[in-house]
Amino acid sequence: MDEPDPLELLNHLEGILESDPLIDEIGFIHPSQFVLLNEDVGTPSTSVDSVQTTNFRTLFWIRDHKLGISTKVLFPLYVAAKNAFVEAYKNYKLLQRDDKHASMCCSSSSLSLESELMKHSRALLILSCDFGTAWNSRKLVLSKKQSLSMFMNELIFSSVILSHSPKSEQAWSQRRWVIKMIAGNCSNLQEIMERESELVKKLAERSKMNYRAWYHRCWLVSYMSVEQVLQEFNKSREWAGLHVADNSCFHYRERLMLRLFEESEHSQDQDASFDPELHKLLKDEFNWVEKLIKRYVGREALWLHRRFLLTCWIRYFACGDHDRSLASNQRNIRAVDIDMLIDNELELFRSCTILPDSDFEDYQAQATFAATYMVWLKRVLCFIYFFNLAVSFELFTQLILYVLNQQLAGALAIDIQKVETSRVKSLLTNVCPEKSLLWNYLPELCM
Amino acid sequence: MKITALMVLKCNPEGSDPVILANASDVNHFGYFQRSSVKEFIVFVGRTVAKRNPPGQRQSVQHEEYKVHSYNRNGLCALGFMDDHYPVRSAFSLLNQVLDEYLKNFGESWKTVQSDNAQPWPYLNEALAKFQDPAEADKLFKIQRELDETKIILHKTIDSVLERGEKLDSLVEKSSDLSAASQMFYKQAKKTNSCCTIL
Repeated sequence: MDEPDPLELLNHLEGILESDPLIDEIGFIHPSQFVLLNEDVGTPSTSVDSVQTTNFRTLFWIRDHKLGISTKVLFPLYVAAKNAFVEAYKNYKLLQRDDKHASMCCSSSSLSLESELMKHSRALLILSCDFGTAWNSRKLVLSKKQSLSMFMNELIFSSVILSHSPKSEQAWSQRRWVIKMIAGNCSNLQEIMERESELVKKLAERSKMNYRAWYHRCWLVSYMSVEQVLQEFNKSREWAGLHVADNSCFHYRERLMLRLFEESEHSQDQDASFDPELHKLLKDEFNWVEKLIKRYVGREALWLHRRFLLTCWIRYFACGDHDRSLASNQRNIRAVDIDMLIDNELELFRSCTILPDSDFEDYQAQATFAATYMVWLKRVLCFIYFFNLAVSFELFTQLILYVLNQQLAGALAIDIQKVETSRVKSLLTNVCPEKSLLWNYLPELCM
Repeated sequence: MKITALMVLKCNPEGSDPVILANASDVNHFGYFQRSSVKEFIVFVGRTVAKRNPPGQRQSVQHEEYKVHSYNRNGLCALGFMDDHYPVRSAFSLLNQVLDEYLKNFGESWKTVQSDNAQPWPYLNEALAKFQDPAEADKLFKIQRELDETKIILHKTIDSVLERGEKLDSLVEKSSDLSAASQMFYKQAKKTNSCCTIL
């Protein structure tokens, strides 16, 4: 067979895209895979029966809304799509300029140019997902049209792209742009949020450590209602528990928790800043992470999440005696709480630094994480005692930075000798000898 | 946390390619068009690793964010394709359990098998679903204390399993388990570090 004409190929591809708006996955496949794919389904496709389709049967494959394109034609197809797009974009820009002068925006020629541009940019992006000009040209048309259904279709289109390149920054940012555009005037925003969140979950399963996908999910939080935030928090728990090496989902949960805390601060007046539900939520998360730390040995993400939880605890629930507005019994609860908390952390530290005589798991890593966590905790506690818990969070972080620089902490006389610095030091030297120089400074760092 | 596949193979002492006795895989989290290649790769990597696993030894082979755990007990070898998060301890408890279960079901009949078996073994598929949560495999661990006795050898790359002079690239090219399409995926993934599109 002769090499097929690139323009015909492009027409055929655009025809397929037009005829099946529900395509949800795209793949570039090896010519030999067609035989296998056709075997799987039995009879060859009869949905489109023009003469030329038979020629294309070994180049395009579509069934169950999955579109496969043969790698053999990718290059000519791409060149044709790019040329067609550039031409359409040029014409569209020209017309737009003319329209401005003539102040008529809905002429039939402009309509057809718009659809040409959308058609070619779609084909082009399917072949090369990071073609920024093509994404921007679509934004141009969409923002001029302001049609809700077009915006919704753009979300679908972007998820098709993500199906084969889940880390495409442009595709993710197009979604955020669309959501921003429709946020004000659409009634089912909550539903859209839910779908977006599900999409991230699905794609995160497929591509590990997908920062862009998780960034997108965190970004969604500010558009969610409080009930939805709570729902998401409960739903994401299982995934996080089964993906303990992936920091992303824990980060997402942190974002959700912060939103809940913010809301609770806004909704309550000064004298009742204690929210029992949030208190319970935080406590549950604490216990859950502890369980995970013990089950999945040597996972840094879990320890980092614990640091976040403890910081939250101190900020929101461990306010000190200075707080006159508190009822005395509440103050007592808090004092007891923080004591119990520290005892609990010490216990965790001890159990995680026992090095068993086996190479089964990363006990060395676990011990290192536990010890550095302890060093961190001790630093944090210094501030709590020293400043009598009276600092705001911003000040708190600033002070941490300040003291880290100034080595001021050495001057603080604080009764937290429960934390055994020398034990931490010898342990760290033992499990992580390559950093022994750093560990030698440890007593100065955390006393 | 994901177990992609569990396999049982017969290792031949004279060094010919191992024979597949049972194979269960779950490739739904891969792209539609990649699934057939992924299945082929599981067979290919499984055979490659099992062939180089001496009897009585446990080994874990790291390959990108995946780990292949294998345990060869007197020529009968169980393999698990897990992702990096799956606790090693749980993985080997599970492999132990799979071997016990296999012997209970089929006895010593495996010793005479000469060609790959494509018949599904229901237990293996059930195990694949059940043990996706390592907490389940942890329960097994509590019963099987003898696990601690043999050391696990950890290989940081699949190349370190191969004998001197062997190269993964040439094994991929020679393998009859891999179709042209899978070879293309392999080369492409190598070239683009598996995160980019094809152009």
